Amino acid sequence: METESVSEVVIVSEYDIVLARKGIREAAVECGFGLTDVTRIVTAASELSRNVFLYAGEGVVTWHVLHGAHVGLELRFIDHGPGIEDLDKAMQPGFTSGRGMGMGLPGAKRLMDEMLIETEAGLGTTVIVRKWLSSRFE
Amino acid sequence: MMTSGISVMRLGAVLLVAVPSDPDDDTIADLQVRIMEALNGSSAQGLILDISTVQTVDSYFARTLTETVQMVGLMGGVTVLSGMQASVAVTTTQLGLSLGPIPTALNVDRAMVRLQELLSERQI
Repeated sequence: METESVSEVVIVSEYDIVLARKGIREAAVECGFGLTDVTRIVTAASELSRNVFLYAGEGVVTWHVLHGAHVGLELRFIDHGPGIEDLDKAMQPGFTSGRGMGMGLPGAKRLMDEMLIETEAGLGTTVIVRKWLSSRFE
Repeated sequence: MMTSGISVMRLGAVLLVAVPSDPDDDTIADLQVRIMEALNGSSAQGLILDISTVQTVDSYFARTLTETVQMVGLMGGVTVLSGMQASVAVTTTQLGLSLGPIPTALNVDRAMVRLQELLSERQI
């Protein structure tokens, strides 16, 4: 499935969110996404990498192109922070455990085609999102 | 902070601020400070926030923009947001962000007209 290399940005400061956005924008354009989808992907990436910084302090963002029946872009946001206590609640728009606006997770899910979340209290959170090139309903 | 590259221009009673294309959080926070400083002690009544080069508006950016408009309002100023790209408008809406009742315009020219209208309405 994954023939192309994986790129990554380590998130330790707010500025790294910009670096992640830049790298992911380039990857999305190269992948062939149209401007609106590129903007959706980059905006979702911005929300999710900010979550890493806000809630875990540090983490890693990786991305790679998916080749299979369809071409897509997969982004992973990995941290070893406190984890998400109540995932159902965290997916509700407007819910925030404090520092955010409560738009990050549900908003990013709407902007992408797929979202998978693995989280465990005290161990951290991994959020995986994908956007497929063929699913363009603009 | 001198690195953010934000310029606040004064055109008569209007402040015009062009937001950089891919601002980091510090730049966005700095933007707010610069606007409030420029407004303070000036006779400016209106602010045009031009976001025509901005490619990404996430929730942090949207919240800071909304806050800034509120702050300008507290000081008696009127803000018009201009030049939002179509892709940004689509994404911001789908993300679930509301920029509230901020007056908007397609570009700076129209923002200037809109601002004059709002300012004259206010004087009646």
